[in-house]
Amino acid sequence: MIWKKELSPFTCEAKMADFDWPWQYKFPPFFTIQPNIETRKKQLEAWCSLVLEYQRHTKQYGLDITEAQSSVLFYNKQLNRKLSLDAIYTVLEELRKRGNLTWKDKTRKSCTLIWRTYAEWGKIIYKWVVSKSLTNTVCTLYELTNGEDSEGQEFHGLDKDVLIQALKTLEAERKAELMDFDGSEGVKFF
Amino acid sequence: MSRRPAGIAAIKNKSLAQAKYKDKGSAIADSQFAQMGKQMEMFKGNLEDFATKHRDDIRKDPEFRLQFQEMCASIGVDPLASSKGFWAEMLGVGDFYYELGIQIVEVCMATSKRNGGLISIEELRRKVEASRGRNSQAISIDDLLRAIKKLKILGNGFSVHKVGGSFLVQSVPGELTLDHTVVLQQAQEKGNVTKSDLVNLLSWEEERARRALDFMVKEGLAWVDHQSGNEHSFWFPSLIPDFSNSLN
Repeated sequence: MIWKKELSPFTCEAKMADFDWPWQYKFPPFFTIQPNIETRKKQLEAWCSLVLEYQRHTKQYGLDITEAQSSVLFYNKQLNRKLSLDAIYTVLEELRKRGNLTWKDKTRKSCTLIWRTYAEWGKIIYKWVVSKSLTNTVCTLYELTNGEDSEGQEFHGLDKDVLIQALKTLEAERKAELMDFDGSEGVKFF
Repeated sequence: MSRRPAGIAAIKNKSLAQAKYKDKGSAIADSQFAQMGKQMEMFKGNLEDFATKHRDDIRKDPEFRLQFQEMCASIGVDPLASSKGFWAEMLGVGDFYYELGIQIVEVCMATSKRNGGLISIEELRRKVEASRGRNSQAISIDDLLRAIKKLKILGNGFSVHKVGGSFLVQSVPGELTLDHTVVLQQAQEKGNVTKSDLVNLLSWEEERARRALDFMVKEGLAWVDHQSGNEHSFWFPSLIPDFSNSLN
């Protein structure tokens, strides 16, 4: 069972072929943190949307700083412009403030970066569970996110750690209960 | 030699003559008036015919609309002078420009986030036409300029700057001096400009160039680019055509 899908740079590039880049991405000054406060606000807002959209499109739930610096997200080769390390941290700090990002360590080398909050994921999963009449049944965590049934759903392929946090929010609402059975991690929905 | 009859008889004759003249005068005036009345009726009828026949044309065809405006100007009529009255009611001309004015404001408000409140008139035209829908009338640059003129009267803070061969519409209050419009003109080719460009191509002093560029950055009209090589460059979103269909 492979939980963490290793995304090679090649796969990433291919995935970006049909990505809808916003006009700012092709605007050279977008890669310079703007001195004017109002303009900077607009710029950071655009960066946050872009980063989250990128994560969603590539189904990534985290970010590694070293990789990020050379990723197509922060480095537009055609334009010959890239966000400096400082600038990247500025954008990520903004995402942290908005609740989308959590640093995994003090050195700020890698983080969890999700385009939906755990509660939002929980809602989406529960809605699907109800629509499939899966309440009062049990399934393994793997089945839930990697089974055939959930193919095409937004949470398909969801990172396990994120999934667990999402299910915990449902636990708090008594809509689910995490459990172990047969040695596998599972969940029961109510 | 007979003198004019004096006395009461004379006076009576004079008033009689006067009365007759007066009658004649009134009669003439009356008939003239009646004639004028008939002419007015005819004129009004013709005008109504014209209106009915061409109301659609005026709404649909920018060329026709322009010619209509020029005709009105030549006879000293401003069909947009008020929203009431013959022209407005019969031709709906006032409504047309009023609606257009509202659409212009909407586009400017929606795009000001991107361009700082300064939009090229071509982009404005494209977006207004798009927002009017596929089957509606074509809009010309002349239409936009007239509608904006009306908006200015309402005090909407709109101003139009001539830049190069075209116009930039400013929808946020703020002073764009001639220096600023010249900078925009200079930047039109590549969408950006450096301080050296202004110094070398316009023979400006460095201080003047710096001041103009700083102002435009402060107003949110220009973004700075620190990765443009030897020198920082300044870019203007309003000069970069936005071909997206969204109003963002």
